Amino acid sequence: MPSLQRYLRSIYRVGLRAWWRQLQYIGDAKSGRLVGADQFGNKYYENYNAEEEVPGRHRWVDLAQHHYHASQVPPEWHSWISHIRKDPPTEDSIMQASRQPWQQPWTENLTGTRGAYKPYNTVAPKINAWEPKASARA
Amino acid sequence: MLRTALNLARPLPLRASAQRSFHASATTLQDKVPIPTHSYSPTEPITTLAQRDSNQLSLETPKNSAEYVLSTLDKVANWARQGSMWPMTFGLACCAVEMMHMAAARYDQDRLGVVFRASPRQSDIMIVAGTLTNKMGPALRKVYDQMPEPRWVISMGSCANGGGYYHYSYSVVRGCDRIVPVDIYVPGCPPTAEALLYGMLQLQRKMRRSRKSVIWYRK
Repeated sequence: MPSLQRYLRSIYRVGLRAWWRQLQYIGDAKSGRLVGADQFGNKYYENYNAEEEVPGRHRWVDLAQHHYHASQVPPEWHSWISHIRKDPPTEDSIMQASRQPWQQPWTENLTGTRGAYKPYNTVAPKINAWEPKASARA
Repeated sequence: MLRTALNLARPLPLRASAQRSFHASATTLQDKVPIPTHSYSPTEPITTLAQRDSNQLSLETPKNSAEYVLSTLDKVANWARQGSMWPMTFGLACCAVEMMHMAAARYDQDRLGVVFRASPRQSDIMIVAGTLTNKMGPALRKVYDQMPEPRWVISMGSCANGGGYYHYSYSVVRGCDRIVPVDIYVPGCPPTAEALLYGMLQLQRKMRRSRKSVIWYRK
């Protein structure tokens, strides 16, 4: 239940510096158990105390980048944060076993950069522009 | 045959970088210094590495004090635009239902300052949600022309992106980008409200890159 006590309690628990960061990026004062961090330095938290966090807001991520967006969360942690898997990937043996040797490292969405995916066509164009070929006058 | 065999013999990350640099211009340093395929650093993420030697990075790096001032003004304008994106709704089919879900309580577009505006003259963005038929095409263009600059278009769903299921129909426009210039394509049939909201956030990312006055100054 959001309340002033909860807010102040969270500030007391996380400290002023972390609170300021939360205010910039999350917009709330949240405190909970640090579950783990992924390879990008994003930190994942949970707090199952329904008195402190509204159910549905009880798992959250503190993203490392300033310009954050949802695809910076790698798929393993995505499945944890959206309750597809109960345990975090650091503890989930099935998740660890399903890591494939041919799997490429995760990259965030590169749209708008030079790394953006651009499809290309390998089929001959159906419409061809007219190239004027005038034969020389006799 | 030999080339495919060589491609397979190469380790995976190298092949991935070749794919990424496929469309980059040949004059850059890319061929000499290959851009890494991934980065774990929060200060130099892969999006920053991918922008290396690009025109966009040059625009975002001020060269003198005038450019510094202008790019700061640009950033202020971008911030203001990002904070109140008013989409013109062009709901045509089932995608419009997902678009309504984006406005409803769970995804709550209002917390990002996104408010549906029924008038094209007072909106910045047009969300084309659904199948665009030939009959609707001129109406779409007319509404787009009535929107004030700067304006953006989000194409939502397979039908608006490229005709989708109705691609071979006699009465459907094969993608709304044949009628209006599209900024963000949201894939899906229909895309979830979450996907559309992510598309809106990507459009914010695009707005953030705008350096219009620096372009004017450098000309």
